[in-house]
Amino acid sequence: MAFILERQRTGSTPYVFIDGDKGYIKLEGESFHENVVEFFKDINAWLDSFLASEFTELTFDCAMEYFNSSTAKLLFNMLLNMDDYAIDGKKVVVNWITTVDNDIIIECGEDFEEELNNLEFNMIIQ
Amino acid sequence: MIKMLDAYNMVKDENIILIYSGPIWNDGMQGIAENLKKRLEFDELPLSASQSVFSVFVEQMNNILMYSAEKQHLHLKEKEFDVSKGMLIIGVIEGKSYFIRSGNLVKNSGIELIKSRIDHLNTLDKQQLRKFYKEQIRAENTNPESKGAGIGLIEIARRATGKIEYEFTPYKGDFSFFSMLVYI
Repeated sequence: MAFILERQRTGSTPYVFIDGDKGYIKLEGESFHENVVEFFKDINAWLDSFLASEFTELTFDCAMEYFNSSTAKLLFNMLLNMDDYAIDGKKVVVNWITTVDNDIIIECGEDFEEELNNLEFNMIIQ
Repeated sequence: MIKMLDAYNMVKDENIILIYSGPIWNDGMQGIAENLKKRLEFDELPLSASQSVFSVFVEQMNNILMYSAEKQHLHLKEKEFDVSKGMLIIGVIEGKSYFIRSGNLVKNSGIELIKSRIDHLNTLDKQQLRKFYKEQIRAENTNPESKGAGIGLIEIARRATGKIEYEFTPYKGDFSFFSMLVYI
């Protein structure tokens, strides 16, 4: 069943795009909404069902400019979840997209990558 | 007496660029965040510096939102909800060093936890804080009282230059006023 989710960026939440058929998810922008858990609820619900399905490939483009500590926790959980399923011929690619001057995001990407064993993590510094 | 000159002089003498006092809810915080961002652009800082200021601002706002013992009932766009109240002051000294002060009421029973967390963070260097942040983000939240595992405080400590300064001043009854000061 085709699943598309697109949500425009706001002052405290990122742009979201999910194409379920292609196994593609993109987050772009900033995240510091007070209710960030609520914001990520349907994203995580989709991710859980996708990971439980017979997928072959999942790509996550994470082009965040800034996120707060609550979001960091959620993103990290998403990555750990993806990592658990990146086995048995299933491919998960995470593109951590940022800019050369964004030290905080680069550092955070490095820290997350250290904890991930199976998925392919690409740090893309533009 | 309008007293505006006193306020003007106080803000000027203390190098304050932003003061907010009142209810803190998401849309309100977003508005202040926009304001702060514009102001930081004006100061032409490197991205890492302006992001550090912004990040401490967001985490302090979140701390007030989650832990302030003072609530206000808001009625906005046909929705009613209780929001936390607190105060935040941002200043810049000679266009280089920023300070962010926050203040809110807390229950006296919560003081020890906040104290022990900040005191611990103040013993760690930047590398240790980076490691601790990662550990805490991994660890499941074991304290049901805490709604963020103190990760916000670690983030503040990581971005701060020097230690987190704080004090608790007895207020009324079971409450104290919690003040925090961070330099960036």
